[in-house]
Amino acid sequence: MKLIQLTVNGRRYDLPVDDDELLLDVLRDKIGAYSVREGCGVGACGACTVLVGGISVSSCLARAVRYDGAELTTADGLPEDDAVVTAFVESRAMQCGYCIPGFVLMAHELLAENPQPDREQIVAHLEGNICRCGTYQEICRAVEVAAERRERA
Amino acid sequence: MTQTTPEPGVDTGVGSRRSRVGAAGKVRGQLRHVADRPHGGCAHVAVHRSTRPHARITSVDVSEAAALDGVEAVVTGAALYKVLGDRMFTGPAFSDQPPLAVDRVRYVGEPVVAVLARDVATAREAAELVYVEYEDLEPIYDVADALAERAFVHDALRPSVVFGDLRHLSGKTETNIAYEYNLKLGDPESAATQGTSVGFEFWAPPVHHVAIELPATIGWVDADRLELYSTTQTPSYVRQSVADMLGLPLSHVRIRVAPLGGSFGAKMYDRLEPLIAALAWLYRREVRMVASREEAFLLTTRHGAGVISSMSADADGNLTSATADVRYDTGAYADVGPRITAKSGMIAAGPYKIPNVAIRSRCIYTNKPSAGPFRGFGVPQVTWSHETLIDELARARGEDPAAFRRRNLLREGDESYMGTVMHSADFVGCLDAVTEAIGWDTPLDRGSGRWRRGRGVAVGIKAVLTPTVANAVLQLNQDGSATLMISTVDMGQGSDTIMPQIVAEVLSMDAERIRVVAVDTDVTPYDTITAGSRSTYHTGNAVRGVAERMRERLLDLAAKRAGGSSKDLKLTADGVLNTASGEVYRVSELIHEHFGARGATMTEEFNYTTSWQPYDKETGRSAKATEHWFAGAVAVQLLVDRWTGRARVEHLAVAGDVGRAINPALVEQQLAGSAIMGLGHALFDELVFDQGQMLNGTLLDYQLPSVKDLPGKLTPIIIESPHASGPFGAKGVGETGIIPIAPAVANAVRDAVGVRITRLPLSPERVLQAMDEAGVEK
Repeated sequence: MKLIQLTVNGRRYDLPVDDDELLLDVLRDKIGAYSVREGCGVGACGACTVLVGGISVSSCLARAVRYDGAELTTADGLPEDDAVVTAFVESRAMQCGYCIPGFVLMAHELLAENPQPDREQIVAHLEGNICRCGTYQEICRAVEVAAERRERA
Repeated sequence: MTQTTPEPGVDTGVGSRRSRVGAAGKVRGQLRHVADRPHGGCAHVAVHRSTRPHARITSVDVSEAAALDGVEAVVTGAALYKVLGDRMFTGPAFSDQPPLAVDRVRYVGEPVVAVLARDVATAREAAELVYVEYEDLEPIYDVADALAERAFVHDALRPSVVFGDLRHLSGKTETNIAYEYNLKLGDPESAATQGTSVGFEFWAPPVHHVAIELPATIGWVDADRLELYSTTQTPSYVRQSVADMLGLPLSHVRIRVAPLGGSFGAKMYDRLEPLIAALAWLYRREVRMVASREEAFLLTTRHGAGVISSMSADADGNLTSATADVRYDTGAYADVGPRITAKSGMIAAGPYKIPNVAIRSRCIYTNKPSAGPFRGFGVPQVTWSHETLIDELARARGEDPAAFRRRNLLREGDESYMGTVMHSADFVGCLDAVTEAIGWDTPLDRGSGRWRRGRGVAVGIKAVLTPTVANAVLQLNQDGSATLMISTVDMGQGSDTIMPQIVAEVLSMDAERIRVVAVDTDVTPYDTITAGSRSTYHTGNAVRGVAERMRERLLDLAAKRAGGSSKDLKLTADGVLNTASGEVYRVSELIHEHFGARGATMTEEFNYTTSWQPYDKETGRSAKATEHWFAGAVAVQLLVDRWTGRARVEHLAVAGDVGRAINPALVEQQLAGSAIMGLGHALFDELVFDQGQMLNGTLLDYQLPSVKDLPGKLTPIIIESPHASGPFGAKGVGETGIIPIAPAVANAVRDAVGVRITRLPLSPERVLQAMDEAGVEK
């Protein structure tokens, strides 16, 4: 057991964790961040995506002890008027919705480094996330809408 | 045929493009799923799995596992059998599947021993410390092995009571055929001797659903009752199955479900539930199991299916005969395979007018993980056959494949070869819409250099599960809001969004004021299953019925208020309008006045049950095999890279006849989403087995369509030919789009590079190999 400090969506947590405990399990079981989800356990579907200092990480592959002192963002912690969230809602970019928080965070990461991505860049950035309901058209559109909004704002 | 033009919904009733319920919560990940239930203090379950495809268990050593710190209990199949006896074998068609293997294992990965421990890691570690010794039996790896009948997966067949028509198989021994359906009409053999004929042997491999939410079941005992919180599309079935297994009255089993993170047929019937129910009941303990992705791959698969088939036409281009020998590999346990075998076998010659037909469809046991329902219910596998045959037959005749289909498609009022009359199944309308969308009749630039361009089309037919039962309970709250109780599970298809639209339409309400409660068998009434695209029609009819009863009740209350007759009364958005006096009685006032209490509730219920006529014993035909039909079509334009064999879809149009779209936006998402899933099945999806061992059951190895596989253009098209008894004419759409995708793609590849491939998927290797064999220039 080691005591680590995580800042999740601006709130600080001091957490005792085992050496082999996954960031995914710590976020879900100790903080109740249920928007972070297991889909494959091997970093291949993106459902467990979190942002660490703005960079996307597959939390199902990440050992929590390595993130001592890190600042994390999860989809449920995004602000009320978040441009990406709003664009996803308005673009109907969800069916069952299980994978969508991962896509939302990937979109945030993309727009932070490339505020006006073209369709090809959006596709390249979201390629590692799986939406089994097949909502990809709406998801791509949502990212474009969010980019337009952020530019205007 | 009417093609809808999307228009923004002005209200929230039938036909409106109302937003999905809980959309913002879904985007933020605030919608809670089963596995999100906090689990402090519960026991976690892991299982030790068989390493053999077919073997007798000679000894089980659990001592090391039991001694591990943190392990509470280690349970063998034999121990469960001592308590539950034959009741531990469950299944929707055959009582053949135990939660833990007893005496004998039948596939690699079958659960043999369960461990209860304080956390998942400990449970999984202990499961690895179980040692099982086996005496190998002859394994049956595939359908050919099974039909050779040198060995048998089961000693005797044991039908459960769900299928009345399986009773005659009870106790049958020395067979691997769980079920056989035969259809005979006319004389296909002599009909095929004239005109043009084509015949092929087809293969559609097993594939997996891979709903991203992992299967999860949590069970506990509340005083003398068993409760399960589980990811299931079939809460009413699970309640019955668990009650039977534990010998409890239905009143003492409670199944609750949270919205599912996708399912597509994976989370149905008996998955984790029997094991978790048994362990919770025996140990009086809250027990929990969330399958890993690797375990989810083993829980169920889509049937691999072989079809040997032929189709013939006369000189005028009219179909004269068709034959199909269909073999579904159902794995070690039948699950719902027998129903798939009959329902999908009966339309194995496609949606065409054919006077001479012979179909044999068999459900066959092998030593592999069990195959069960998957979006399309066995129909995509036979559509792969009939839509390839008809395409090749058109080409053999030198005719346009779309025109040839159009001449032969079943139309409204036609009696199909399997005996049922067609209604609300606009195949021609779907075909016309998709071909028009991709510019079928416009000149095609065949491509240059390494690229070759082609177009393909395919049509699909599917029967809805019949007979089935749906119930709805509607509670009108005194403030004018309403609570709807149904056992339909929302797994992304949008039932929680559209059912309130039906109520809203009948009661002139705002759908936002109507809430569907989460499924809870203590509260929500029996509903056969949420599957087979049946809910919009069946549960939708129950919902319309209950709303109509509620309207009558409100009008009665208003009549009392108006001092007598209800003939001048009309329910409007403002309340009950007295057209004679111009007075409006608000709903909240009527209920308040009637009960004399604020917050009071008024409840109605409605049942909707469909009936069928069983298949004729001699011919396999039925005048009413199904309550209604699904009709769809897909057209594809694609490029094939002649150097790599890879296909790139430029435009895919998918049309479905939904009778009437309750919510066109959600219908389009179902059509587009199933098209993308279907593209995976066409181009790369495949579960690979070697000697019974699944080789690619992880997401590192199993390929799924990503955003990169999105066609250049994807056009979902709604066709509406209202069903006479559908709720406002509506039928479902969950499977319609996926059915014709693979043959449409293969027909386009055939058009592009001239090779006919009859085994799925159309992987680059397979396309290249076919081009090599055919001597196509590269």
